[in-house]
Amino acid sequence: MSKSSKPTSEDILAQANTLRWDLGREFHQRLVETVYGEAARLADRAVTRPEKKPRFDFDRTIDRIVTSRIFGFPIMFLLFALVFWLTIAGANVPSRWLSILLLEKVYPLLHAAATGIGFPWWLTGLLVDGIYLATAWVVSVMLPPMAIFFPLFTLLEDFGYLPRVAFNLDNLFKRSGAHGKQALSMMMGFGCNAAGMVATRIIDSPRERLIAMITNNFALCNGRWPTQILIATIFIGALVPPHLAGLISASAVLGIAMLGVLLTFVVSWALSRTVLRGEVSTFSLELPPYRPPRILQTIYTSIVDRTIYVLWRAVVFAVPAGAVIWLVANIDIGSMSIAEHVIEFLDPFGLLIGLNGVILLAYVIAIPANEIVIPTVLMLTVLATGMSGVGQGAGVMFETGTGDTLAILQAGGWTLLMAVNLMLFSLVHNPCSTTIYTMYKETGSRKWTALAALLPLGMGFVLVFLVAQVWRLIEALI
Amino acid sequence: MTGGWITSFILAGAVVGLGIIVFYLRKLWLRRRRRSFRVMGEDVLKQIYNATACEREVSLDSVSDKLRIPPKRAQLLLEILHEQGLLRIEADRLRLTPSGERYALHIIRAHRLWEHYLAEETGFPEHEWHGRAEKREHFLAPEDTQALSAKLGHPTHDPHGDPIPSHDGELFDVRGQPLSSLPEGQLARIVHIEDEPECVYSRLIEDGLYPGMEIQMLEVDSSGVRFMAEGVEHRLLPLPAANVSVIGQDEAMDEGLLGESLSILKPGRRGEVLGLSPRLRGAERRRIMDLGVLPGTEVVAEMVSPSGDPTAYRIRGALIALRKEQANLIRIRVLDRDSVEQEPLSARASMGS
Repeated sequence: MSKSSKPTSEDILAQANTLRWDLGREFHQRLVETVYGEAARLADRAVTRPEKKPRFDFDRTIDRIVTSRIFGFPIMFLLFALVFWLTIAGANVPSRWLSILLLEKVYPLLHAAATGIGFPWWLTGLLVDGIYLATAWVVSVMLPPMAIFFPLFTLLEDFGYLPRVAFNLDNLFKRSGAHGKQALSMMMGFGCNAAGMVATRIIDSPRERLIAMITNNFALCNGRWPTQILIATIFIGALVPPHLAGLISASAVLGIAMLGVLLTFVVSWALSRTVLRGEVSTFSLELPPYRPPRILQTIYTSIVDRTIYVLWRAVVFAVPAGAVIWLVANIDIGSMSIAEHVIEFLDPFGLLIGLNGVILLAYVIAIPANEIVIPTVLMLTVLATGMSGVGQGAGVMFETGTGDTLAILQAGGWTLLMAVNLMLFSLVHNPCSTTIYTMYKETGSRKWTALAALLPLGMGFVLVFLVAQVWRLIEALI
Repeated sequence: MTGGWITSFILAGAVVGLGIIVFYLRKLWLRRRRRSFRVMGEDVLKQIYNATACEREVSLDSVSDKLRIPPKRAQLLLEILHEQGLLRIEADRLRLTPSGERYALHIIRAHRLWEHYLAEETGFPEHEWHGRAEKREHFLAPEDTQALSAKLGHPTHDPHGDPIPSHDGELFDVRGQPLSSLPEGQLARIVHIEDEPECVYSRLIEDGLYPGMEIQMLEVDSSGVRFMAEGVEHRLLPLPAANVSVIGQDEAMDEGLLGESLSILKPGRRGEVLGLSPRLRGAERRRIMDLGVLPGTEVVAEMVSPSGDPTAYRIRGALIALRKEQANLIRIRVLDRDSVEQEPLSARASMGS
């Protein structure tokens, strides 16, 4: 009797199976909601909050101003214009000091020292002309702007203003399927794309974060501004009377930066509707209370966490690149160096898309940092054209005045089309290796890292190819 | 130079041509794969199962119509299924054998689980779930569906309100009544929204209807139905209304679902959260709950972005911006007391008198 009435495990399971249908469809949701609700109830009962009414009103007043319909956007533009102006104006002097110190003082000393110890010429070349020079170049161009931009940006962040920027701009980003906080990682990208990659950590929605990472490269970084300014000055500024030259070349550079912002939106839109459409997407934006910025702490952390971190990664990549740059220019196969063979091989394709073999090779070997693209281009041009009396020898990167640069590039067969295409390609090509590596560390995904590297590269080739064809068509017609 | 650009045009043409060829070949290959016999056979089993449940008959013609293949191929397909012991052909009527029924239930289980997965764990838009599950259902083995079910916490219903058959092929079906058969004034709950055809379904989704939604019928006539749900009046034509099934109930179970949406709250006004709409799913739902938006929580609208969206709300002492689409899915009761308190004293005195 007792044995037969005792249910077996099968009976219990069977009964559970029938009963689960009676729970109702929202059973799970209700259960979770109850757990959350109970947690909130316990917290409300146990936690007392000090009355903070005055600060609360102060916050509300600032919020009313910085997010108002009239002042919201002008305040934002003024603040960012100020940050960029301070960065560009402030970085000039220390950049020159560093370059005098590292390139004009230490470099010859090292050269003399190496020769003095009795290093063979190739070892001196590899270590001093290749590795040391590339590293010194990256440091002197990269360090000052970053050491100014990052603390300023971090101060705004610490004060609590940046989340309000995301709040103001979210609608714009929403239309392209992105998150308002992407405005911040994009701004950070203008300083350095690798730092921009790290900055996307603030976006907690997986889809929007990937969008922000893949499109960060379209924010014209600090390493590419000098390239743009140089090429715009010597080629585009030269088209107009001298008193207009400054204005026109500055507009050309600004136009490129704006094109980058436009591409950010277009590519974000396309990504969110194609490859990323299945990724999970959520939105929430917390607007923390304002607080007085902790200036010293901010400067310390932004220099250690952002500046030194990015710089270290760039140096790690610059060392092997410096070696490669020197080696390809100095190892001969037959009568020519490897660099000349590669340039000759790449030239037809380069010319087809309105660039040339030198530029393509420079973009391959200068992948660690966009800062060394122009020095590499100049060195390779001198090498390929066999000019004498300029530059410092095979494999030694250099920079020179605008007049000499123009003379070298014209000897290398440069045209206005090539200059325009170089500016476009500098904006739309693969991110530097530091950025690619940072993206891989952040996502842990080869797939998305490859997409972030190859998508802009492919787009860049298509863009310069189309520009070249249209340009030539118009040239042929007139 | 002229030679240069002629060459480049030829090259560009070649690239475009190659692209077109590759694209076309891919399309052909995809069509072939989609049309493979196994997949078609599984679709036939599903078709017969559904028809039998609705007491409709399936003939050779309806099979060839549904799969869009010539009758000859449909005939061959049915013969193969017959040989596999999944199908009986009884004088023009098609019936599933017990093993055929089990097979069909497995496909339905895979389909509904996958829809549940898409709804909870991915960001695909609602109108795409059915189409994607139609393809995926053929590539999930019973072990896969079991693992998926466990991962999702063994859900009982798909996002359209259909029950998911259990691993042993058990299916508990609540048959609702068509929306248009509901008497005026009656309270009811939507239990099912038919996801085919897609154009009708996406219209219903756009209207904001979902299974579990509570409604109150206002008017039924030959031109359609009119009903209240979540504080909004809805109108449906007879055809879409026929695709919605409901179960009548005596009293509103969840007053929260009859409140108003957070997005109507103007800056400076207060509200009390009544609940979250079931359409707020997966990661988004968890995020909102993490922020402390729970039944009973008080919410104050603080400010609207200068670009119109999002709006910032004060929730449990924190200022949190939510987009309009999210605020639409949070049901609240507007608290008017606050606005009274903010009015000058004289106004309050006059109200008291």
